[in-house]
Amino acid sequence: MPTSPHIQIYSWSLSSLTSIMHRLTGILLYISVIIISWYIVYYTYQIGALESQEQCDCPIKKAMDILFICASIALTFSLYFHFINGIRHLFWDIGKGFEKKRAQLNGLLVIVTAKILTVLTVISVIYFNYY
Amino acid sequence: MSKIAPSTKTGSHHWLMQRISAIALLPLIIWLVLSFVQIVQDPQSYLPIFFAYPLNAIMGILLITTSLYHGSLGLRVVIEDYITNKIKMHFYIMLINFLSIVTAISAVVAIIRLHLIG
Repeated sequence: MPTSPHIQIYSWSLSSLTSIMHRLTGILLYISVIIISWYIVYYTYQIGALESQEQCDCPIKKAMDILFICASIALTFSLYFHFINGIRHLFWDIGKGFEKKRAQLNGLLVIVTAKILTVLTVISVIYFNYY
Repeated sequence: MSKIAPSTKTGSHHWLMQRISAIALLPLIIWLVLSFVQIVQDPQSYLPIFFAYPLNAIMGILLITTSLYHGSLGLRVVIEDYITNKIKMHFYIMLINFLSIVTAISAVVAIIRLHLIG
């Protein structure tokens, strides 16, 4: 009985990788927009309660802080990736950049640019925090 | 052979609105990145001052509503692709729409309040 090749058979290519990542980062960004919106709502109606929060030095808080930093860096990368790859998709919609070589080059450019912008953002945040 | 799904007559509208909201999000995301770098140093005390400026309040409201609209359209496509059970599919699409609308309205009310008290 002939069966179509399963997902593990296919080798990773840049076009499928960027396509899958576009979806994953989109879902991630949707979830984070929901969380940030509810954080703003929570913050707006409890300004006093947030200020009176006591600072504890327990290890669980440090772990949460590290987790929070990692999550925000991942979120920043997701935002940049989805942003730049979205521009690429818009160019595809008007019929540009479809040739195989151009599409490959575009895909590489998207990933590299997103990484560079993430590093720049992290550096500028550190700069604004300490100077 | 399975039955051919009847047309819902709204196929291209989603596609087009997804693109239009994507174009609308381009300047809003640039604004978000520029203001994020300022706000991140002390979000607790800087957020009310930040939304006291009319431009920031307007851009914040536009960003949240447009991104939730774009996100609910995008998640709709993802749900349609991966959930085969029709009843479950429509349930999840409605859930996403409900969540988006409730979140958008709450966030807009909160930002207006921050803008007025800031």
